[in-house]
Amino acid sequence: MAEEILRLPAEQLFKKEIDALIAAEKNPVPAGWNMSPQSVKTYICGGKVKGTKITPKYIGHERLVEIAISTLVTDRALLLIGEPGTAKSWLSEHLTAAINGCSTKVVQGTAGTTEEQIKYSWNYAMLVAKGPSLDAMLKSPVFNAMETGTIARVEEISRCASEVQDALISLLSEKRISVPELALEVPAKKGFSVIATANTRDKGVNEMSAALKRRFNIVILPAPATLDSEMEIVKTRVSQLSENLDLNAKLPEEDVVEKVCTIFRELRKGETLDHKQKVKGTSGVLSTAEAISLLCNSMALAGSFGNGSITEMDLASALQGAVIKDEEKDNVAWKEYLENVMKKRGSDWSGLYRACKELNGE
Amino acid sequence: MDNPNFFGIRHLSPAGAYYLRCFLNEKQPELVLVEGPSDFNDILKDITSEETTPPVAVLAYTKEVPVKTILYPFAEYSPEYQAILWCYETDTELRFIDLPSETFLAIPEHGTRSTEGEEGMDNVYNIYRGLDKISGEDGQETFWERTMEQAKDFEAYQKGTQSFGANLRSLTEGKENDWAETVLREAYMRQQIKDAVDAGINPENIVVITGSYHIEGLKNWQDGGGDFSRMPKTEAVHTLMPYSYYRLSTRAGYGAGNKAPAYYSLLWEGFNRNEPEYSSYSYMVKLAAYLRKTGNPVSAASVIEAVRLAEALAMLRNGSRPALRDLRDAAVTCIGEGSFPAISMGVADTEIGTAIGTLPDGVSRTSIQEDFYRQLKDLKLEKYRTIILQDLILDLRENRRVKSEKSAFMDLHRSFFLHQLRVLGVSFAKLEITSQDNATWQEKWSIHWTPEAEIELVESALKGDTIAGAASFEMKERVENATGMGQIALVIEDACYCGMEKAANYATAALQKMAVDTVSVEDLAETAHRLSVIIQYGNIRKADPEPLKPMLCQLFYRSCLVLESACICDDSASNVIIEAITKLDNAELAHDFLDKEEWLKVLGNISRHDNLNTRLSGFAAAILMERGNMNTEQLRTEVSRRLSAGTPADLGAGWFEGLAMKNKYALIARLSLWESLNIYLMALEDEEFKKALVFLRRAFAGFSAAEKDQIAENLGEILGLNGQETSEAVNTVLDESSQQIIDSLGDFDFDI
Repeated sequence: MAEEILRLPAEQLFKKEIDALIAAEKNPVPAGWNMSPQSVKTYICGGKVKGTKITPKYIGHERLVEIAISTLVTDRALLLIGEPGTAKSWLSEHLTAAINGCSTKVVQGTAGTTEEQIKYSWNYAMLVAKGPSLDAMLKSPVFNAMETGTIARVEEISRCASEVQDALISLLSEKRISVPELALEVPAKKGFSVIATANTRDKGVNEMSAALKRRFNIVILPAPATLDSEMEIVKTRVSQLSENLDLNAKLPEEDVVEKVCTIFRELRKGETLDHKQKVKGTSGVLSTAEAISLLCNSMALAGSFGNGSITEMDLASALQGAVIKDEEKDNVAWKEYLENVMKKRGSDWSGLYRACKELNGE
Repeated sequence: MDNPNFFGIRHLSPAGAYYLRCFLNEKQPELVLVEGPSDFNDILKDITSEETTPPVAVLAYTKEVPVKTILYPFAEYSPEYQAILWCYETDTELRFIDLPSETFLAIPEHGTRSTEGEEGMDNVYNIYRGLDKISGEDGQETFWERTMEQAKDFEAYQKGTQSFGANLRSLTEGKENDWAETVLREAYMRQQIKDAVDAGINPENIVVITGSYHIEGLKNWQDGGGDFSRMPKTEAVHTLMPYSYYRLSTRAGYGAGNKAPAYYSLLWEGFNRNEPEYSSYSYMVKLAAYLRKTGNPVSAASVIEAVRLAEALAMLRNGSRPALRDLRDAAVTCIGEGSFPAISMGVADTEIGTAIGTLPDGVSRTSIQEDFYRQLKDLKLEKYRTIILQDLILDLRENRRVKSEKSAFMDLHRSFFLHQLRVLGVSFAKLEITSQDNATWQEKWSIHWTPEAEIELVESALKGDTIAGAASFEMKERVENATGMGQIALVIEDACYCGMEKAANYATAALQKMAVDTVSVEDLAETAHRLSVIIQYGNIRKADPEPLKPMLCQLFYRSCLVLESACICDDSASNVIIEAITKLDNAELAHDFLDKEEWLKVLGNISRHDNLNTRLSGFAAAILMERGNMNTEQLRTEVSRRLSAGTPADLGAGWFEGLAMKNKYALIARLSLWESLNIYLMALEDEEFKKALVFLRRAFAGFSAAEKDQIAENLGEILGLNGQETSEAVNTVLDESSQQIIDSLGDFDFDI
């Protein structure tokens, strides 16, 4: 059955690794956790346990992972902030997968999220027929997490309206949820916590209140620090994804990954990697996640309509699509980048340059 | 025979200091031997004085230039410092046993070495890098803190340092650049130990305190070290000086230090209170207090959460309690909401701090330091002796509201004092540039004390016994080494700023000798200008202008003599001459003792003679006109002569350019001038006109839009055009094509 599922949750995808870590546990395990904080770190940052290789899930910035794990040990809620595509949700999913073996207690924050989705709602047919009862109550993922002493995830918390955000405050400080309809108080079991993520691009949409912020330990996830670590991330994720999706294409060559990462990093920072030249930035977010999906797309193109390996033309059209989001401005920036930076990079880049140029209608 | 008790330390280590005291209490030795220059024994009584508060440092320096220095800083938590205190309290003898500073300073390439010298070597550096990698920490400081500072007990600590020292030694033995020096030092220390034992002290009653690295080298102390009478030596002096935590925290320059002295002093306090957690919570509390004081609300709840997070982080590393790195990261997460910049000022204050040490008055200072502190007190500048930068605005005028002469000119004397320090290159005070309006009677200084300033002060001791004496010596030296008059003029200026008449006179005499041989008008004019300003405004500083007057006269006269011949030059050189003429003219206008007639004669010659650069001739005419020494009739003759038909365009228009550099209104008002110019230009051939354009364009660039308006009106009248339209035409900004044409004219070769 698992084969038919498009995307398996982390705890199933990496079941072997999690089991190996639990089996080899030596350090004390906090209440409600499946493994020790040290093992969680090994799971996220990679390593080796009794012959089982643990693939790194989050590369670079190990210290931030340590801070995130330690936060959860101290029963504080964790808020991960960063640009889109800096692996906030990815990290939160893997943290819960390692700690609880369950990463699916998720509330997706949207403009339409209501307080009921944070707390509980009712099966109205049953409510009308039988009146308020535990059977008629629909518990939210957060409610479930409190009852089971596990960690709930709230994605994109700053997209929610403030009253919805505020509903979290009492849950996080009292660590109990009250159901006045049933005269019920449900205390959270040990191990309960919340990992929320928020997007820095959404700042100001629904600014988080100071009261709520105070209940979180805030960890800011930066873009990968070096080209090497970004390439590492992209390569690992692309190979994982292509296995899952049966893309029928060869994995992108090292130099293709390097080119994509270089272009993305340069446009993101607004200067070339050697700091010698300024580059006009683009309006879109050229995150690591975007680079991963770009390469997967190219692989899909190559697998379905090409000879199975990514050609320069495939890459050029994918790049064009990723970079140019706002037609006029980005188009200019991209053309400038092609002429001023890419053209001068020598023979290794000339193929890609010509393909991009051709696509640009010249 | 028994061995003495060795105690391996790391300099600036609170745990080391604490356990060392325990060790001394347990052993109750008769004699304590400490790694440190053996000639420093005389400073012990000053270090233990009640008025001394660390951080302090011992500075040794050579008595000859170039000055070389070595520095031994002590913080409260330095094991050596605690050993000294312990010996003082228990009346036990303490001796330093390392090479004397005279020898250290004589070893080449060791101008700046320090007690942590053994960490500065490349090879060792690589080992530390490797250590960072294995421990997965951000640096060896953290490694050290987790393994040594947080050692479980005394035994763990000593085992740790000893095996660390021994391992480091076995990895690097014989490979470092200064291995020879290490061998020499250890031989010397061995000999000192042997001497002590030979003198009849039971080795069991001796405690030897050295860097853990040296213990292996001292174990066979019975061998002694040999004869040291032929060691290299240089004459050196040492003194105790106040030091600062900030200086300790930067490894630059004098080297020895640790990155977070204020935090380490918290660790030290924690040891003494027997509260190992003390450093953790007081770090957070101090940080929060600082942030609150600077207007950033930090809740007590965040502080509690930060301490808890730091403990969790330490646990993740299997540490018993948080290290500095854990504390800082926890503070960023819980107090700074994830961003370091938000709390960076507080972090600097909590980790580094602003503490500076103090010494009792007059203790072990060089006489120049004593003079410095005496003057600080005298001039009421003591409150500026902090490491926080403060501004001081001085009003040099007499304060008529106070009675005594001393307080009436307090600010002036302060200014003298600060200028003397500036001349000596002591970075205690920095003169800020103020606006020109009140520059003559007001000065703005930014002042802060730094250990560097103290060191620079000590280095100045070679130049004199007092600040003024040293400054005068420095100025004398500058005069002797001067290669141009400008440099001497600067010394005269400095001497006036410093209120040092004698130095000024000395420099003036030197200037006089040099002036005789100088032919460069620029130099002469520049020097005359400086002197002129000093004479003009010197009285605000109570400087006597009289001795300078003959000098200025001489310079001025000499300038008059050489100016005309200097005017035979090309256009590019003429700018410098124009500057010189302006300076000389200003000087002449300011001082009536200068020879006015001669000056006017020279200007007249320059304006009339045809063999000179025409631009300069024009400029001389402009000055004469401005001073009212050229009437309209003369100007008209000159204009028609200079601009007569047939005169090459570059000469004619160049002259006009020079003329137009001054008194524009007077020119604009004279319609006849514009008529002459018009007739001249009309008569030019096309090619010639193009040349003239370049000069005219440059000449009119200096005119404002309103002035151009008036010229346009003039032209309109002459040409019979509407003034308004002409004005529009001359005031339009050039479009690109015209600009190109004009630019191409610039490339024109006028010599053809």
